[in-house]
Amino acid sequence: MARKKAKRVAHDAPATTVVVMVLYITESGPNSLQAVSNIEAICEEHLKDNFRLEIVDVLEYPRRALADGVVVTPSLAKVFPLPAATVVGNLSDTSEVLRALGIRG
Amino acid sequence: MLVEPAPSPLSASGTNAQRGLKKAILRLVKDGPERLAIEAGQIDAIIDPTSGNAILLPDAQRALIERKVGFRSLIGLAFDWYWEQDEQYCFVSYRDATNEAFGLAEQGIIGKALWDLSISNMSEIGWQTHRQQLEWRVTFRDLEVRLTDRDGEMRYLSISGEPIFDDRDQFKGYRGITRDISARKQSEALIRESNRFARTILDALDTPIAVLDQAGVVLASNRAWRASAAARSGVGAGIAHGSNCLAAFEDAGRHEKVDSIAIIAGIRQVIAGERAAFRYEYSYSSSAGQRWFSLSISSVSGDDAARAILVHEDITERKRGELLLSLEHRVLCCLADAGNATDAVKSVIRAVCETQGWNCGRYFDLDKSASMLRFSESWGIAVAAVEQFLEKSRGLVFRPGAGLAGRAYQSGQPLWVLDGSRDADVFTTALAPESGEDGAFVFPVTSEGTVVGVLAFSNPIIREPDDRMLQTVQSIGGQLGRLLQRLEALNALRRSESRFRALNNLTSDWYWEQDRDFRFTQNVVGGPFRNADILGLTHWDLPNVVLTDAKWEEHKSHLAARWSFSDFEFAAVRPDGKHDYYSISGEPLYDEGGAFTGYCGTGLDITKRKRAEIALRESEARLRALAGMS
Repeated sequence: MARKKAKRVAHDAPATTVVVMVLYITESGPNSLQAVSNIEAICEEHLKDNFRLEIVDVLEYPRRALADGVVVTPSLAKVFPLPAATVVGNLSDTSEVLRALGIRG
Repeated sequence: MLVEPAPSPLSASGTNAQRGLKKAILRLVKDGPERLAIEAGQIDAIIDPTSGNAILLPDAQRALIERKVGFRSLIGLAFDWYWEQDEQYCFVSYRDATNEAFGLAEQGIIGKALWDLSISNMSEIGWQTHRQQLEWRVTFRDLEVRLTDRDGEMRYLSISGEPIFDDRDQFKGYRGITRDISARKQSEALIRESNRFARTILDALDTPIAVLDQAGVVLASNRAWRASAAARSGVGAGIAHGSNCLAAFEDAGRHEKVDSIAIIAGIRQVIAGERAAFRYEYSYSSSAGQRWFSLSISSVSGDDAARAILVHEDITERKRGELLLSLEHRVLCCLADAGNATDAVKSVIRAVCETQGWNCGRYFDLDKSASMLRFSESWGIAVAAVEQFLEKSRGLVFRPGAGLAGRAYQSGQPLWVLDGSRDADVFTTALAPESGEDGAFVFPVTSEGTVVGVLAFSNPIIREPDDRMLQTVQSIGGQLGRLLQRLEALNALRRSESRFRALNNLTSDWYWEQDRDFRFTQNVVGGPFRNADILGLTHWDLPNVVLTDAKWEEHKSHLAARWSFSDFEFAAVRPDGKHDYYSISGEPLYDEGGAFTGYCGTGLDITKRKRAEIALRESEARLRALAGMS
């Protein structure tokens, strides 16, 4: 499974940096499901429409994880803005995630 | 199927293999946040950096297994097999979803096309159509085929398929699913058979029956209903399958509006469950005469669609039978109550007219001396044209064979004319076209097989009589004829009796009757006694009668012997003490069975004669005395 959650900024809204993320999961894995739920809640609360999230199932796309240097699932990789950052685990530690995304909690 | 997951590879316990796996995992993740996350139980899989394969940790492994089992179970619900065909439509693979059901696998289908199998329900045209679909590379759904399994049982399969194309859009064959629909087909067959059975039974019934839904629409009807709906006119005419019977009743004409309102209300109440059943009878006048209908509706429970059963019967024959029965009864009452021939004839004509809805009737009596029918009596409704018609009939005579009445007299059979203008003879002599009485019904009045008169009825519309009607008029004609003959005989008897009494009055002073115990029961005209003084008493009980015992004994012996007696003389003492003298004669009476019922006779006042005799005897005695003195 590779799905993207790309939410565009409204035209009349002030220009804001869009955070681009990739979440590597193992579909049906309990921690992966929890990670998806957690990152969606964080994006909803802190990023509003200013993010683009791609979810990659490593069972379906194993080479993608290997190419991106992912070692475990679930892993969240912040791609943009630089610097890149990675959070591993089910993303239950919101402050750690916000810190990785460069957002003040 | 659930697979027991392995213990956590990072736990302290475990087998050598697990410990080896632990080492390998830790080598992969080394130190850092990955290791901490693994130890915190927040990781599902570890990616092998050499192969890229994901190594599932136990919880994730268990969840994946459960998901696959669930998915497989869902697939099993959707179909029984899935298969693939090559570019030539030959099966290259098949897989059972449940590993239990019968399917095409048993036919040894690998390498065969579908039409190579022993499928028994596809025609050549059917196969051509299917192959055309394949050539067009279209997705086909629910192709139903029938074949026989290894136990000889008939099986039905439903096959759906879609074309397969490679990355370059090159056609590679078909893949699809197959479902065993034998149970469904058997159920459908059973339902069809059940419906056919119910339909056959319903159609076999002579009574018109329809099934209504909640809105009053006819869901189903039997053959009798369809036939009657097509032929019926008036209220509720032409209610066919699929039409709304409430709307049909609402379209009724002005004359049937009351009936329609009642019927619609009844149907609605039954459909709404406010009453279990509703029954209504109504009549309808058409050019063919009056017809009667019965409408009965019953509620239906236990069915989603059907709400009521409607039975709409033509009960005209039954109603006509009831009317004729009522007519016969009424005629019997009329004849029983009639005091004379005129009353009898008029009441019978009226009863027939009112029962049959005819305008008027006339009775032509047979004049035996002239051998012709003469107008005698009539009755008609109070309409000027009818009254004029009857008035003109006075003095009308028919010779045998002349007019409808003359022909009925001659043949002794009922005759009728539905349209008088077609019969010139009838038109000019028996009917009254000026009053619009174009139809006529005539039947003879008979007594002991002889025609004694003719009853002629007139009305604009005369319905063709059926056997029941003919039997009724024959019965009425016979009853009226017998009564008229009896009344005529009674009149003749009365006239004879009157003459006899007149003669009797010339030879006697009174008439008397006694019962079997010789008590007076009647004392008519004159006589020495008042009825109040003698009725219930015997002759010898009367206080003022003077007779010797010897004479009484002699008289009694004659009576006991049932002898006739004449000139039995006796004296009666008057209030002034003088004697009057009487003479009676009598005859014994017997009933039809020969039993003695009493005496009847006449009496004469012989007082003058007796006194003259007494005076004569006294005179002779005085003369003898004078002669003896001289």
